[in-house]
Amino acid sequence: MKVTILPARESREVDAGDVGQLLKVLKLHQDAYLVIRSDEILTRDVRLRSTDEVEVWPVISGGSA
Amino acid sequence: MRCIRCRATANVEVRRHRSAFCAACYPGWFRTQVERTIEAEGMFSREQRVLVAISGGKDSLALWHSLLELGYQADGMYIRLGIGNYSQHSQGASERFAAKHGLKLHQVDLKEEYGFVVPQLRNQREGKPCAACGTVKRYHFNKVAVDLGYDVVATGHNLDDEAATLFGNVIHWQTDFLGRQGPVLESTHPKLARKVKPLYRLAERDTAAYAVIERIEYILEECPMAVGAKSLEYKDALNALEERQPGLKHRFLVGFLRNGRKAIAVDGAVEIRECRECGQPTTGEVCSYCRMRERKRRQVEARQGGRPRAG
Repeated sequence: MKVTILPARESREVDAGDVGQLLKVLKLHQDAYLVIRSDEILTRDVRLRSTDEVEVWPVISGGSA
Repeated sequence: MRCIRCRATANVEVRRHRSAFCAACYPGWFRTQVERTIEAEGMFSREQRVLVAISGGKDSLALWHSLLELGYQADGMYIRLGIGNYSQHSQGASERFAAKHGLKLHQVDLKEEYGFVVPQLRNQREGKPCAACGTVKRYHFNKVAVDLGYDVVATGHNLDDEAATLFGNVIHWQTDFLGRQGPVLESTHPKLARKVKPLYRLAERDTAAYAVIERIEYILEECPMAVGAKSLEYKDALNALEERQPGLKHRFLVGFLRNGRKAIAVDGAVEIRECRECGQPTTGEVCSYCRMRERKRRQVEARQGGRPRAG
């Protein structure tokens, strides 16, 4: 499937059966990202198809507040 | 995965609560958490005026949005820090949010009003201005809140921010900071605003999901000055642990606030006086903001004095 990683909008083709597996393949912590398909946030058990296009949004911000 | 409220397909899993919610039920759950925290900690009432510190990011805008939905009187305040495109984007997001909802957004422009920008405050050892930026924000949010008669300043610090701060303070055994860390910082001087953190029990992922579902347009890009900041390393380490032990960050922070802080806090109030230079509250003779600006002024003078003269 086509995966676009924000904020740089880096695109990659990734093989993964579900959202949890996708984050593992990308070596990303599940508490640090949201996976979004067609404006919908997906939980980690959602099955993914090879034709899917998903976005991975980081949620972590840093520095001093 | 199913929504625990309506059994529809879930969109947001909250692993530390062993819960999941659909997009329709999630915002209500989120706002209930915010309201419970405000009430449990006695942060403020609906009769009081709240100044929300706005950065244009997900946390501050999600906080502002949820406070308004819950019926609190909340205005915003944004500081133009002068960090290139990042500041332009964050200012735009803050102004658009305020305009869309018909809200009051106070602004301070550091360059125009005070003659400096945050990138000039880089620490010479670490090359980062994050600590100085924090001093600048605390100073101006407090000053505007007191000058305009707000009852309290609310910031968007979340569970991840607070757990990472605690982690850093423990690693370096900053006992003075540990004794003061908490969701409510009481006012101990007429010129010191009360400060509260209504999102401190909600994770960054929770606030991001709220912003996405509520279609809040926030800046996704990271502050370029914060790249490589220690706070991000601490968050990464805690998220690696959270992956295997859901709820670890929550237990770490809430356990500290319940049990650890009391053992560390020093008895007796610190004496607060007014800064000799600017009149703002401080524990010393000159406040950290004025000391920082004086230090930078001297550095600039020294650099200019060291340049070879033309001709």
